[in-house]
Amino acid sequence: MDLTLGLALTVLAWSALSAAAGALGVLPPAAFGRGGRALPTAWIGWANALAAGMMLAAAYLLAEAGLAGPALPAALGAALGALAIFASHAVPRPAAPAPAERPRDRLARGRTSVLTGALHSASEGVAIGVAMAVDLRFGIFLALAIAVHNIPEATVLCAALTGRGRRLPAAAALAVAADVPQVPLAVGAFALASAAPAALPWVQGFAVGALVNLVLTELMPDSYREAGHTSIALVASVAMGIVVLLRGLAP
Amino acid sequence: MTAAAALAAAPALVVFAYGLATALATGLGAVPFAFVRRISPRAVAVANAVAAGLMLGACFGLAAEGTRYGAWQTIAGANLGVLFILGTQRWLGRHEVRFGAAGGVEARRMALMVVVMTVHSFAEGVAVGAAFGGGAELATVITIAIAVHNVPEGLAISAVLRPRGVSLAACAGWSVFSSLPQPLMAVPAFLFVEAFRPALPWGLGFAAGAMVFMVFVELLPEAYEDAPRPAIGLLATLTLVAMLLFQRYL
Repeated sequence: MDLTLGLALTVLAWSALSAAAGALGVLPPAAFGRGGRALPTAWIGWANALAAGMMLAAAYLLAEAGLAGPALPAALGAALGALAIFASHAVPRPAAPAPAERPRDRLARGRTSVLTGALHSASEGVAIGVAMAVDLRFGIFLALAIAVHNIPEATVLCAALTGRGRRLPAAAALAVAADVPQVPLAVGAFALASAAPAALPWVQGFAVGALVNLVLTELMPDSYREAGHTSIALVASVAMGIVVLLRGLAP
Repeated sequence: MTAAAALAAAPALVVFAYGLATALATGLGAVPFAFVRRISPRAVAVANAVAAGLMLGACFGLAAEGTRYGAWQTIAGANLGVLFILGTQRWLGRHEVRFGAAGGVEARRMALMVVVMTVHSFAEGVAVGAAFGGGAELATVITIAIAVHNVPEGLAISAVLRPRGVSLAACAGWSVFSSLPQPLMAVPAFLFVEAFRPALPWGLGFAAGAMVFMVFVELLPEAYEDAPRPAIGLLATLTLVAMLLFQRYL
């Protein structure tokens, strides 16, 4: 019992750390001023490509572990995970604000972009919790990969919010707050996967589907917009290889 | 004559014939395109997403197989695969390429797709030959498994070629062509298993790296241009999951 509690606290600590990494992301908009127009953006693309490679590798390692067990529940779980990410995109994505937009509409759209961010963060939390239940070191690794993604995500969200007329401190706070849902969901998914081993293939599959779809719907298209295709593809595929290698060399 | 008896009588010939049968099966991947009439830009994006899912799923299988033989060799091979595609891309960019009726960027993309899939068949051919060495009674099972596994690869190739105006017969032809290294490599790999085994993780990794890089540098960016990204993401993810399930049960 105490052991489980200790593990749950570990999950809590790492997912909180991963969420808090978003705070680093609001530094560039703060340094470059309102709207973030003069912000250099290629690093956002590379950071996202790096996170994409790490997350795809994590999905591969999870899939390998999941396919060793009952494959059909894992595949159904993966389809559910992919659909969950798809559904979270039913909320419209933040676009460049139209010049004629009234301030009130702009604030409303700023709210929906925070909501979208929160929904994504929730599925990332599920992936962290499940990975922790499979193997603690693996879960810690995934928390770090998601931290790498949270930093540029917070930068983009913060810049979008200040562009819509939010004051910088409020925008920074909202951008970091959008990552908070991943903490309770990481602990919840970990508890569920540990308490009901029968549910493990389902949650494992869910994490795989959610991670892959998150990478393909969000990280990759975002990074192509910030830097050249070749450099993005290089960063993502080499990152993927390094992660698979580290896992293969681990005892 | 049973497969086992034939294998005992003329082993190299049987391995070649079986390898050829798996190569011909790749052509079946063009069949679904016989039922698609109009090909819009959105359909190209959808086909790219399906191809991306199939290729990423195939890579997961290649990496799992490769790391079983040697982890660092697989990853070193994968990095070589990435460099190879990067080099091929640069080379194609400097030369005027024509593919069917198309020229320019489109032709380069198609040529690269055929190169990637053909190169990856070398590694698979070695894997087939080495597996044949495992036992004669397994030969038929392995051949059927590889043949079925080749069909989605033909589908991936056709998904890139067909929307760009390549005829159905040519799609099937290029699909079969991309798998010809399988019978060609299976025979020496079968005859000299011991010599080929150390090269296997390198080859499997090379194939995986080349395919991942192709997905990231060509297929995905193009897919996002003509269709909403949630649709592309969902389609590619579900295809990948289906491919994993497919590989698991074969």
